[in-house]
Amino acid sequence: MYTIFFLIGIGLFVGVAAWFLFIWAVKSGQFDDPEAPKYRMLDDDDEPAKTAEHGKREEK
Amino acid sequence: MSESETTAAECVQCDHCMQETGRNTAVTARIDGQTKYFCCHGCLGVYELVNSSSLDAFYRQRCDWQPGPPATGVKLQSAHFSDTVTIAGDEHRIELLLSGIRCASCVWLIEKFLVKVEGVLSARVNYATHKAIITWSGRKTTLDTILNAVRDIGYLPHPCHQNAGSTVFAEEKQDLLLRFGTAGFFSMQLMLFTAALYAGFFQGMESRYRVAFQLISWALASPVLFYAGFPFLSNAWRSLRRLTLNMDVLVALGSLSAYLYSIAMIPLGGEVFFDSAAMIITFILLGRFLEAGSRLKAGNAMAELAELQPQEALLLSESGQTTMVPISAVNPGDRIEVIPGDRIPLDGVVIEGEAEVNESMLTGESRPVLKEPGSSIFAGSFSMNGRLTIKVTGKASATLLSRIIKTVEDAHARKAPIQNIADKTAGFFVPVTILLAFATFLYWKLSSGSTVSALLNAVSVLVIACPCALGLATPLAILVGTSASGKKGILVKGGDIFETLSKTTTVVLDKTGTITRGKPSITDLHDFARTPAFLQHAASLEASSEHPTAHALAGAWDGDLLKVERFRAIPGRGVSGTIEGESWLAGSEAFMQQENIEITPEQQAIASRLDTEGKTVVMVACNKRVAGVIGLIDDLRDDALPMIKLLRKKGMKLKILTGDNRGVADYIAAKCGITDVQACLGPIEKAAVIRELKERGECVMMVGDGINDAPALTEADTGVTVGQASGIALESAGVAILKDDLRLISTLIDSSSKCFSVIRQNLFWAFAYNLIALPLAVTGVLHPIISAMLMATSSLVVVSNSLRLKKP
Repeated sequence: MYTIFFLIGIGLFVGVAAWFLFIWAVKSGQFDDPEAPKYRMLDDDDEPAKTAEHGKREEK
Repeated sequence: MSESETTAAECVQCDHCMQETGRNTAVTARIDGQTKYFCCHGCLGVYELVNSSSLDAFYRQRCDWQPGPPATGVKLQSAHFSDTVTIAGDEHRIELLLSGIRCASCVWLIEKFLVKVEGVLSARVNYATHKAIITWSGRKTTLDTILNAVRDIGYLPHPCHQNAGSTVFAEEKQDLLLRFGTAGFFSMQLMLFTAALYAGFFQGMESRYRVAFQLISWALASPVLFYAGFPFLSNAWRSLRRLTLNMDVLVALGSLSAYLYSIAMIPLGGEVFFDSAAMIITFILLGRFLEAGSRLKAGNAMAELAELQPQEALLLSESGQTTMVPISAVNPGDRIEVIPGDRIPLDGVVIEGEAEVNESMLTGESRPVLKEPGSSIFAGSFSMNGRLTIKVTGKASATLLSRIIKTVEDAHARKAPIQNIADKTAGFFVPVTILLAFATFLYWKLSSGSTVSALLNAVSVLVIACPCALGLATPLAILVGTSASGKKGILVKGGDIFETLSKTTTVVLDKTGTITRGKPSITDLHDFARTPAFLQHAASLEASSEHPTAHALAGAWDGDLLKVERFRAIPGRGVSGTIEGESWLAGSEAFMQQENIEITPEQQAIASRLDTEGKTVVMVACNKRVAGVIGLIDDLRDDALPMIKLLRKKGMKLKILTGDNRGVADYIAAKCGITDVQACLGPIEKAAVIRELKERGECVMMVGDGINDAPALTEADTGVTVGQASGIALESAGVAILKDDLRLISTLIDSSSKCFSVIRQNLFWAFAYNLIALPLAVTGVLHPIISAMLMATSSLVVVSNSLRLKKP
């Protein structure tokens, strides 16, 4: 008979947990840059690295 | 005399910045066996650097890049940045604002490049805010190295001070996101229980379940109202205390009355309206959140502007030694030195040296101005060539640049508080509803004598009148309208702008850079040498010069260039050199006289005619005789005439304002068929012209792009910038058209009148509902569930009507 209240309790608990997760995500800056990540996943990380020469470049 | 049309130059695209550049003026280099073209040495440098770091994937994968040159060759003072560095042990951390980020691949390039710099621990760039967070090891590298590395690949770092305006916007946006997220979360949960309650009403429901569900609904609605809706409640309270009724009062009244009525109904066994209370707050928060996003973009532009005025100056002591001092330490009467390529830090008078100075940001004059001893010079402009010694005439806080910024701020402050249609509605609707509720209370109290039932009836009037649809009518239409224009590349920075836009009667256009290209092109060509090689010689001679006029000339010849020996450039006058043994000169009339070149009366007449037409006159001489006279002008953009035609069709009055001289203004005006032109206007005078128009009852839209337009953009009812505008213009304008297409101005007016008419329809629906439901509620015959359904229907009508704006 009280199963429904039990289930509602679980539902509310999950909902509130997700809300806390959302608050954490906003506070830790997960939503600061909604643009870049969609491009970032397409970037290749494993380009064969030539010797980095820019360090030795002289100032003009 | 032979006269020919403008020669179409063959153009190539710069391989780094993708800007179109004349084939002959382009810098070429052979890289990996291929010939690459660049618009300048800066681009070549960046390309080589990116290529040698094996990051050339950047050029293959970038998309949505907006053409434009990189920021190379700027000197960086790490001292400006040092106070923003935080140090923890060996780990140094800095937050930088980067200008020059044009596409998402830039983020990739900067991160990858910086991580390869020795000693850099991490680099993270935020594409939305153009901010970079870099950490590095203090033992292995220095701040200077990092700043220069960023600069070398074509991006300009600015110190990111915590008190900058953009931080405030970012915090506001985050706060709104939290509130909107919370409201959305709880509203969704709430809907589940509300749906159950509605079903229970029709099918029957055990009272303990109903009460339980109602209690849960109460619990879920409370955070929405008191946390997410807190800004509305506090604003409403503030405006009630000042007796000015606005939109927030409407929202607060609607949601609070539904909320309180529902609480009272739980023990009485009536219907609850917690969902209405929560929904109105959620929707309006969504609109505010999106609006904050576009304001944040503008705030960042403002932070970049702060860099226009250099913070340090080279102070010249009596003994002739120079020291770097902050500009606040320079007093009137002091002498400072400015080296070529630097921005002028303070207003003053030139006492030594000569240079051509680009003042277009301040005056709108498209040509560089020659500064000689005795001429006055302004902070924010920059010296293109030549070293100057300047006697400072005013303090750092009193420069023309800071006066312009101040004018903009003042105009912002003076603007009447937003009197938009929703506020006006609220001002009338709120007192009427409250009076009606009060009358209902009195009527039932007197007729039945019971305070409780009288109170309940009065509150139910408030609930029925619950201006949910009314509250949603404006924000929702604006929300949909804003995002629809955003997709077309039009950034509207606030809902009230749609209303003023749709009333526009006069469109005022800035000339330089707005309806013209902002760089000169050849209009007249008089060839006296009668040799086809004339233009070739002129182009070869000018190809080595950095002057914009020279660029235009060099670009007009699309064949091969000749080799120039003994090249010499004289600032403000012209260039000279030897080609195939003959001595050639190109430059102003004064330059010719100075060099004792013979000018025939015919040539003299052509030159003075071109001059009165506002054209820049370049004379080309060979062996002491004038071989040709060339006239150049900053010509109309290709999309200017279509735009003017579109605006005319709408019955707009058009007007051109410019800082340029009369001749140029008249030429452009004649070409685009606008008779109303005012020339030689300074930034503050432009604003005055706008104010005058407004006083005559016109609703003015100002279109401009530079600092010199900023006061006028703010003064106008709506300010619009098109394409790549300067930071302060972006900040001052209400609308930023990001795509470089003038025709979007007409699209903007169209979509705002469409949006405005949707708002009016919405308000009509919302009022119609209230007009029907209110009398029924006052007499107490309306069943709560019917009123709930009516309420939902009226909101639904408003929502679906607003969604029509999405269609193109």
